[in-house]
Parts: sequence; structure tokens; C-alpha cells
Amino acid sequence: MAAVSVTAGRLLRLRAAGAEGYWRRLRGTGLARSFLQPASAGEDAAQTRQVAHFTFQPDPETREYGQTQKMNLFQSITSALDNSLAKDPTAVIFGEDVAFGGVFRCTVGLRDKYGKDRVFNTPLCEQGIVGFGIGIAVTGATAIAEIQFADYIFPAFDQIVNEAAKYRYRSGDLFNCGSLTIRSPWGCVGHGALYHSQSPEAFFAHCPGIKVVIPRSPFQAKGLLLSCIEDKNPCIFFEPKILYRAAVEQVPVEPYNIPLSQAEVIQEGSDVTLVAWGTQVHVIREVAAMAQEKLGVSCEIIDLRTIIPWDVDTVCKSVIKTGRLLISHEAPLTGGFASEISSTVQEECFLNLEAPISRVCGYDTPFPHIFEPFYIPDKWKCYDALRKMINY
Amino acid sequence: MRKMLAAVSRVLSGAAQKPASRVLVASRNFANDATFEIKKCDLHRLEEGPPVTTVLTREDGLKYYRMMQTVRRMELKADQLYKQKIIRGFCHLCDGQEACCVGLEAGINPTDHLITAYRAHGFTFTRGLSVREILAELTGRRGGCAKGKGGSMHMYAKNFYGGNGIVGAQVPLGAGIALACKYNGKDEVCLTLYGDGAANQGQIFEAYNMAALWKLPCIFICENNRYGMGTSVERAAASTDYYKRGDFIPGLRVDGMDILCVREATRFAAAYCRSGKGPILMELQTYRYHGHSMSDPGVSYRTREEIQEVRSKSDPIMLLKDRMVNSNLASVEELKEIDVEVRQGVSSSSSFGTQITLPPV
Repeated sequence: MAAVSVTAGRLLRLRAAGAEGYWRRLRGTGLARSFLQPASAGEDAAQTRQVAHFTFQPDPETREYGQTQKMNLFQSITSALDNSLAKDPTAVIFGEDVAFGGVFRCTVGLRDKYGKDRVFNTPLCEQGIVGFGIGIAVTGATAIAEIQFADYIFPAFDQIVNEAAKYRYRSGDLFNCGSLTIRSPWGCVGHGALYHSQSPEAFFAHCPGIKVVIPRSPFQAKGLLLSCIEDKNPCIFFEPKILYRAAVEQVPVEPYNIPLSQAEVIQEGSDVTLVAWGTQVHVIREVAAMAQEKLGVSCEIIDLRTIIPWDVDTVCKSVIKTGRLLISHEAPLTGGFASEISSTVQEECFLNLEAPISRVCGYDTPFPHIFEPFYIPDKWKCYDALRKMINY
Repeated sequence: MRKMLAAVSRVLSGAAQKPASRVLVASRNFANDATFEIKKCDLHRLEEGPPVTTVLTREDGLKYYRMMQTVRRMELKADQLYKQKIIRGFCHLCDGQEACCVGLEAGINPTDHLITAYRAHGFTFTRGLSVREILAELTGRRGGCAKGKGGSMHMYAKNFYGGNGIVGAQVPLGAGIALACKYNGKDEVCLTLYGDGAANQGQIFEAYNMAALWKLPCIFICENNRYGMGTSVERAAASTDYYKRGDFIPGLRVDGMDILCVREATRFAAAYCRSGKGPILMELQTYRYHGHSMSDPGVSYRTREEIQEVRSKSDPIMLLKDRMVNSNLASVEELKEIDVEVRQGVSSSSSFGTQITLPPV
């Protein structure tokens, strides 16, 4: 990490010189602490491996749905898909490289089990994949399309926004493509750079007619994915790719559903509400622990889970209780989904607010390659924003 | 005149060298050039194609050999650095495809334009950047060609527009560059490259249509290395005759492992475009030894035997070397010397590349 700490040192000097106004957000020892590794780690230039910016925190095992098995995120996805294909004879899975198991192993074994006419590869054509999926769904079959990385979803944007989202409306409910689910790996991964790290949920949040869902863990992922597949509206299911292997939990083997458009209060608190989704939930969990330990502040943590339509009630109820709200996501600040939450909450809970709503997000730049540690809204940035809110 | 210069240079090189083998080499009489037969290209909507014989001069031969060897060594060095985690992120190597980048460059002028996808290190070199700048960019250092901020997929140079991560997105861009060429009236062409996987993207066909409609001087080039990531061409494409996929655009299929074939085809295609007849499509049949990227071992969808077979029968560097040695354009020792020089050059570039500073935040 020597190389990174050199840059961190330079950054601190920059800050001291007041040179870069843009970097004024990065304050204090927090930044230095996250990057100055112990000296021994710094010596070997060859081992510049990054430490992840979060620690996955599994939820306690639930016995509610029967026997559970230890699964990581991609295994829980496979389990959900397996359950779907078993239950629903019209269900098909398609996308680039899904047949051999997928580049993230989410579809391993499914082709062997269900046959090549139910699990098949498509050529390299995202617009074609989604359009084709819409066609399948319109006839009533269940289409589960995979877009290999969320960064590649943009050729399909027209199909999703103009076709899938509007089908039911424009045909007066004669037709719909509700049985379409699009799955896609999402979010930062440590080395993804511009085109393997994006979080495009905000683009789709602006589109009435679809649902966008993002799980934080294997247990959540399976339940939410099954709900998406069974939901009568076209759904986009973003899977945090950094959690595919890193997140391990006890997940029920049998199918179960977690309701959409319901946020979950993971931890109750009284002083600040923290809202996030996907990987970032684990970051704010740590922030909450830090706040409790260092500031004696009690945080209420909410995992939004469904981006649209989002659970306004849960978030507002929480803000009415605490009076402070911090929202955090990896996607760039401007136009990110935090802006929507912020806007709605200030409309609904204006007189309850003790401090301006805080958004800790990625910067308004393309997702960088070597600057990733500086870009992501890590726990230090969140903690800093929280502290300011408390002291407002 | 050329014979005299060659003789003078031989004497000088002989005089300057210390190792005895060099003196031996310098005293041999090499041919100045040789004529080679090259494979006839399959044609689509073309009455005639590139010539089936070509003349290679000793000077050009040595230049191509050195360039291809440099690309090969540079890619292998990148492989090594990636495994040492000095290069991170994504890294797509083009060893095996050297005849494409060097051959294309040999057929065009430096003032022509080129745009390609992410397997771009070879093109970055042939378009004029140094190995040092490329390796520094790969390792994210400030001395890199994109100041360390672009990495493997985003390298740019004069008249080289990258280096593009999103598959197929560079093709309409290439058509746009060709429009600019036509508009500026400087007789330049644009080489727009894409792979066999990208050939199934919708925007490629949009670009074909616009280029043909407006007669843009665009040479569409499909680098068909038989696999789109892990999917073989037969499993991805309804028609694997990529040179015909432009339909109303004439096309030719070229042996992409033979640098002379690539060069002649490129010259032919460039002349076609410069004459104002509109776009043309070239399919280069080539092969990559590495997997799709450094995260892909490259053996789960093809056999090691297949890779070995291509290496032993069709390696572009080997083919050129055999041709040159058998026609007395160069000696084995001379080419070995070039190998050694190239190796040392790449080595020193890489150590430079890993030592210079990171870009400022």
C-alpha cells in the first residue's frame, strides 16, 4: 500500500494548502487512517492489494423458511433461479455466457438440470437480449435475462424505458411484460474501473413502469429475486458483484419471498437515520457502530431494498423519530437516488428535521480505476457527515 | 543507391560491433528484397482483390520483425506484471495477433486514423507510443500515455482514438472519424476495428449503413480471433462470414497471421477508400494465445492442443522469420540479436514503468 499512502500523503498536503476545493469534502485524519497501512505492508511494491472498504455482516440465521444452507451471494442467486425454473415450466434464463454458469457463477448447473432450451446463451447484443426478453414475457412466459455487467445495460435502455415500462399502459392492459426480470451485476468491485463498477439505478428510477431492486446479502437476494420473478411488473435486479463471494450466510433451500417496495429497518435508533442499499448497507452499519462508540449517537439503519417504487413511509417514519437523515450510495451525487429521497423527505418531514439531509455519494466523475479508494463513499466520509449533522 | 547504402551500413555495423558473431553477420551478403506469394483473399462484391504476390525488402522485413517481436514481448511482460499484481484491473493481451497491428500500420500512413476496442496495446505501439509509455499506463503511473488514469483499455495517441471498453461502441465513432476525413479532404482514411463478438452488436450495422450511404472512407476491420470471450464464433453468429456481413459493403477475408497478406489487403482497402468509392470491410482471421483477459485462463473453451497447433504452424513472427531466413533476407543470428535487444528494451521499459510516480489525485 506504499504507493497509495504516498498519494494519500500528497493529498493531505494538498488539503493543507487549500488547493483543491473539490476535495474539501475529504477531511481530517479519517482519510489518512484508512490508507496508511502498517509499515510492513508498505514495503513490497508488488503487493499493492487494496483492502475492501467494508466488512460484510451476515444477518442471523432464520428458521422461518425451513432448512438453511451456507451460501454466498452467487450461490443464493443460483438457488433462486433453480427454484424458479422448477416451479415455473415457462421460465427461461438467457444472456451472455450463462450456459456454462456465467462469468460470476450465478447459473452454474442450471443448463444441465433444465436443458439447453431453457438456459441458453445469446450473442453479444444487450439491446437484443432485453428486446427479446420483452417479447418472451409478452406471450406470458417468464423471461429471466442477464446483462453481464450493469455498465453494459445502456444499449438496452431504450427497450427497458420505452418498451418494457410502457407496455401495459400503452396497450390498456391488453398486454404486459410483467414476467420479465433483468439481472445484472452492479457496483464497485475494487478493480472494476469505468466499465465494471457502475451503479445505474438512478437512471431507471426515473422511469415509471418498472421496479428496481438491490439486495444487501445472500438471504435478501434470494427472497427478493424470487419476488421480482413472480412480480407482475418488469423488474431489474442489481446484484452487488463485490459480494458474490465475500457475502456468506445461511440461506433457506426452499423458495421464499421478501416483499418488494418494503424497506427494512435493520437496527433501531433514536438520533440519526442512515439509509443505503446493496454493499453500502454494510458500510453504514460500521458507521453506526463507530457513531455509538465514539459519539454516543444511536443510529437507525434502513436498507431501502427496492429503489422504485420506494418505501416512503418507513423512511419518513424513521426521520420523524430521529430528525436527521444521511443517505449514502456509490453512484455519483448529482441526480443519484439520494436526491430523490432527500427531496421527498424534506417535503414530508420538514418540521421534524434537525439538520439538513446529508448525502454521501460518489463524485461526479466517471468511476476511476486507480483512484477508486478516493472515490467511494467509505465509512470515514459517512462518519464525518454524520458528525456534522449531529453538531449542526 | 539503395545497394550502396546497404553496403555502407553493413560495413559500419560490422565495424561498430564487438561480438564476433556480429562481424560474421555483417560480412554475409543478404538479398535486398524477395518476392513472396500470399494467400488469395476471399472477396465479397469485389471484382478483384489484393495482389497474390508481394515484394518485401530486407529493411521492411527487419522493421516488421522488430515491431512484432516488441509487441509480443510487451504483452508477455504485461502478463508477468499482472500476475505480480503490479498491473491491476482488466488487461486484454493480443499476443498471437501481432501481424494484424503491424500489418495494418504497414499498409497505411501515419496521418490515417485508427480506432479499436480494448485489445489495444499492440495498436497503441504501432501508432507511435513507446513501450515505456504503454507499460507506465498499464501500471497506472503518471508517465503513462493517459497520465495513468486510463489503464489498459484507454490508451490514445495521435490519430489513434483508443482503446474503448464498451463492445461495439467504437464503430459508429470510427464512421464519424471517416466523415471528418472526407470533410477535411486530405485523402485520409479511418480504420475502424472490432472483434467477432462485437460483430453481432446493432450499432455496427447502423455504422455500416451510414458509411455506405454517405460513401465514407472507412475501412471496417473485423479481427476474428474465433472467440468472443469464451464463445466460439459458431455459437454466436448466424453467419461467420464476417467479411460479408456488411452486405452492401464490399469485403475481403484476409489471413491475419501473415503480415504480408495483411499489409497488401490494407493497401488495397486504403486505395479503395481513398478513391472515393465508400467503405470497405476486411475480416482478419487471426488468433489470440491468451484468454480473453488476464482473468480468463483461455483453456476452458478451447483445447491446449488447438493453441499449440496455432503457435507451431501459424505464429506470425515465426512465419515472417522463416520467410526472411529462407529467402536470405536475414540470418537466424541477426534475428536472434533483435530478439535479445527487444527483450532488453522491454525489460528496461517495464522497470521504468513501475518506478515512476502515481498521478496526482
